Amino acid sequence: MPIIKVNNLVKKYKISQKEHGMVGYIKHLFHPKYKEQTAVNNINFNIEQGELVGYIGENGAGKSTTIKMLTGLLTPTSGEIIVNGIVPSNKRIENNKQIGAVFGQKTQLWWDLPVIESFRLIKKMYEIPDGEYRKNLKKFTQILDLEELLEKQVKNLSLGQKMRCEIAATFLHNPKVVYLDEPTIGLDILVKEKIRKFIKDINQEKNTTVILTTHDLKDIEEVCNRIILIDKGTIIYDGEKETFKNKYGKHIIAEFVIQNKKSNIALETSKEEFEVLEEKEKNIKIKFNHDKQTIMNIVKAISNYCEILDMHIQEEGLEEILKEIYKGETIND
Amino acid sequence: MIKNIKLYGSFLVASLKRMMEYRVDCLVGMVSQIAFQIIELIFIWVIFQNTDNIAGWSFEHLLLLYGVMMLSVSINDLLFDSTYDIGNRLIKKGKFDTILLRPVHPLISVLGESQTSTALGYMVLSVVLIVTMLIKLQITITIFLIIKILYFGILGGLILGGIQTIFSVAGFWIYKSNEVVWSVFQLHKLAQYPIEIYNKFVRIILTFLLPFAFTAYYPTLDYLGVSESKLIYVTPLVVIFVWMIAIKVWNWALNKYRSTGN
Amino acid sequence: MINKIWSIAKQNAKEGLYYRFDLLLYIFNFMIEITVYIFIWLAIYNNGDQILNMSFEEVTTYYILVISLSPIINWGINEMMGESIREGEILRELLNPISYFNYYFGIRIGELIESAIVGILTFIICSLLFGILLPAGMTNFLLFVMVIVLAVVIVYFFELIIGMTAFYTNSIWGVEIFKRAILSIFSGMIAPIGLFPEFLQKIANILPFKDCIYTPISIYFGELNNLEIVQVLFKQCIWIFVFYIIAKVLFNKAIKNITVNGG
Repeated sequence: MPIIKVNNLVKKYKISQKEHGMVGYIKHLFHPKYKEQTAVNNINFNIEQGELVGYIGENGAGKSTTIKMLTGLLTPTSGEIIVNGIVPSNKRIENNKQIGAVFGQKTQLWWDLPVIESFRLIKKMYEIPDGEYRKNLKKFTQILDLEELLEKQVKNLSLGQKMRCEIAATFLHNPKVVYLDEPTIGLDILVKEKIRKFIKDINQEKNTTVILTTHDLKDIEEVCNRIILIDKGTIIYDGEKETFKNKYGKHIIAEFVIQNKKSNIALETSKEEFEVLEEKEKNIKIKFNHDKQTIMNIVKAISNYCEILDMHIQEEGLEEILKEIYKGETIND
Repeated sequence: MIKNIKLYGSFLVASLKRMMEYRVDCLVGMVSQIAFQIIELIFIWVIFQNTDNIAGWSFEHLLLLYGVMMLSVSINDLLFDSTYDIGNRLIKKGKFDTILLRPVHPLISVLGESQTSTALGYMVLSVVLIVTMLIKLQITITIFLIIKILYFGILGGLILGGIQTIFSVAGFWIYKSNEVVWSVFQLHKLAQYPIEIYNKFVRIILTFLLPFAFTAYYPTLDYLGVSESKLIYVTPLVVIFVWMIAIKVWNWALNKYRSTGN
Repeated sequence: MINKIWSIAKQNAKEGLYYRFDLLLYIFNFMIEITVYIFIWLAIYNNGDQILNMSFEEVTTYYILVISLSPIINWGINEMMGESIREGEILRELLNPISYFNYYFGIRIGELIESAIVGILTFIICSLLFGILLPAGMTNFLLFVMVIVLAVVIVYFFELIIGMTAFYTNSIWGVEIFKRAILSIFSGMIAPIGLFPEFLQKIANILPFKDCIYTPISIYFGELNNLEIVQVLFKQCIWIFVFYIIAKVLFNKAIKNITVNGG
């Protein structure tokens, strides 16, 4: 029994078309014209309890529209969403009790109050039992390192400190499902690490379902086990993260440490063989399609132009794969 | 319902604590709000430099009416002030989304954000006006009268709050929704004067359409002991009616808002 | 320099005019305000009191003009100045290739263009609705405009002086409300100054704020003779000079504080 069911979900926006000039403006006032735009076009997926899903796509692909509909902030034009047996847009308050959400820079904390006051209000709002509240607070404080922040006013916190508190506030009432929209935007690497660890820990312990959208694919590599990729309002991939890499990640990146270079390698070789990403006197970095090329051939080819001292091979990361997909290089297969 | 009212209380307390963070601002706000009201009083005073009564109401009568009006205004500000500018403050900046995600009716959250700094200034002014005018008019101040004044003050505040809440939904579509609310409350200025000075049309508006007359005129008539009108006893019904409309309008606006997005 | 001020003014006006729905709202608001005043005065006149030889038409015209002119007093740069000083934006503004005074003057002019459109439209609609007395003559009308133009400059320097308090306190809006209180009483905005008691009239006569609203309207009605009008213009010039000097001194002092202490 999946915890989130999405069937044939569609969202169309009406965009008002204003004409220019005062006359056009007044015309529009009485007789507005609209253009329809489809933001989400018939998407389907199920998510099981405890899954960690990365929901990715370019800006304007329909990511945040989907998240807004899942949380009940937006009513779908057609189609069905069921979150743990509830239709979010019909029973919003009921749905809010079982979910948590972080939306980028918008804070749910009370700006002028100490953090702990916000937590107390959240406790009251969600009717969190005393014992549960204390237990969670203690654990979150420890993992996210909040000890010194609790008595500070939210407005005096740095971006990273604020987000740590924000994340804690979101999980305080043991939500069944949590939506994280760009939770790591603008944060430094240490804070990112902390937040990722926190999400994994809580998921392990409480089997919380997490849906994560982010521009930092490091987040998804480290946290998620499933990827849903949306493009122009439709889902173009939905499945295991590893399968995704195997399916789309056809390139290997190899770095060689070299000496006695005889000529410019990039000029001497063709793109069919491999692509040179970086070339210097003492090293060279290349990329090749491992369906069409073997590493042995590459080594042979390169050693025609220099002596190879050392080499290092790695698979493409999510980020490079996605770049290729967006550029349309890998899309048709 | 009880839970909602309790939460509203917790939100208000949080809002009060926040105000305490800005004590100086708060004090300045209080003083300047009083100053603003004094401008209105100067207007009345200037008129009475040139005439000795308006429709049989003396200067003292009018100041009493003004004090009674301010009492309900201050209670409105204390409890419901925050719906005034939701367009700019909440909707435009996207802060409303976080409110929608709380397990509480958003209206409770919004109302709970009321900042009460203006209310204190108004309350001081209104108490001063009411007490001095009652003494000047030689009306004996009994416990019963005090209770009555408080009772109708609170009901008046509830009426104003309801009306403000109804018009606040403009904020879902217009960022400068405060201008809309302000427009409506310009009409409230008419309630500063005895409604018998207006023509029938205005009187009907102030009694039935925007029932501002229940927040000042009718109670004052009663305190002065000159009222034969029994209209004042329907005030609680007016409160219920206004709030029923307010909640309906809000829910309707919320649905609209969620289907069009932002 | 004039060019620079003008381009800032145009830019600012464009931004304001971009939200045309807001303009309609402002006009609607103004009309309601005027209606409320007219109702109150109508009631007083129905009461049988002839106030200070002003006919009801004159009172109606007075308030239509007052509300149409009110942005001169009620709008302004103080909020923006205060915010920019508090948030440290001022440092960027000091780097502008135009002086601080001229920069904000441009902004204020831009705002006045916007408010002039609102004011003129309100005036036209209300004069059709309620009926209005026309200016006593063409010269009167031109002098009416001229006095207002000088008044705008006076108010601008006064706003600068008020704005400087933002360097010393966070509660600029309190000071701003104080400014508006002073201006709306002594400009004749709440009621014609002729209705004030003697001692208030005396204060109003000395201060320059009367010439923002009350004096121009008197000229509009043709109640001032030529000599009196020349006196008004002379008085306005003196006040512009006085306010300018005060603003400049305060500003230089504040800037010294910033550049020495780093804000």
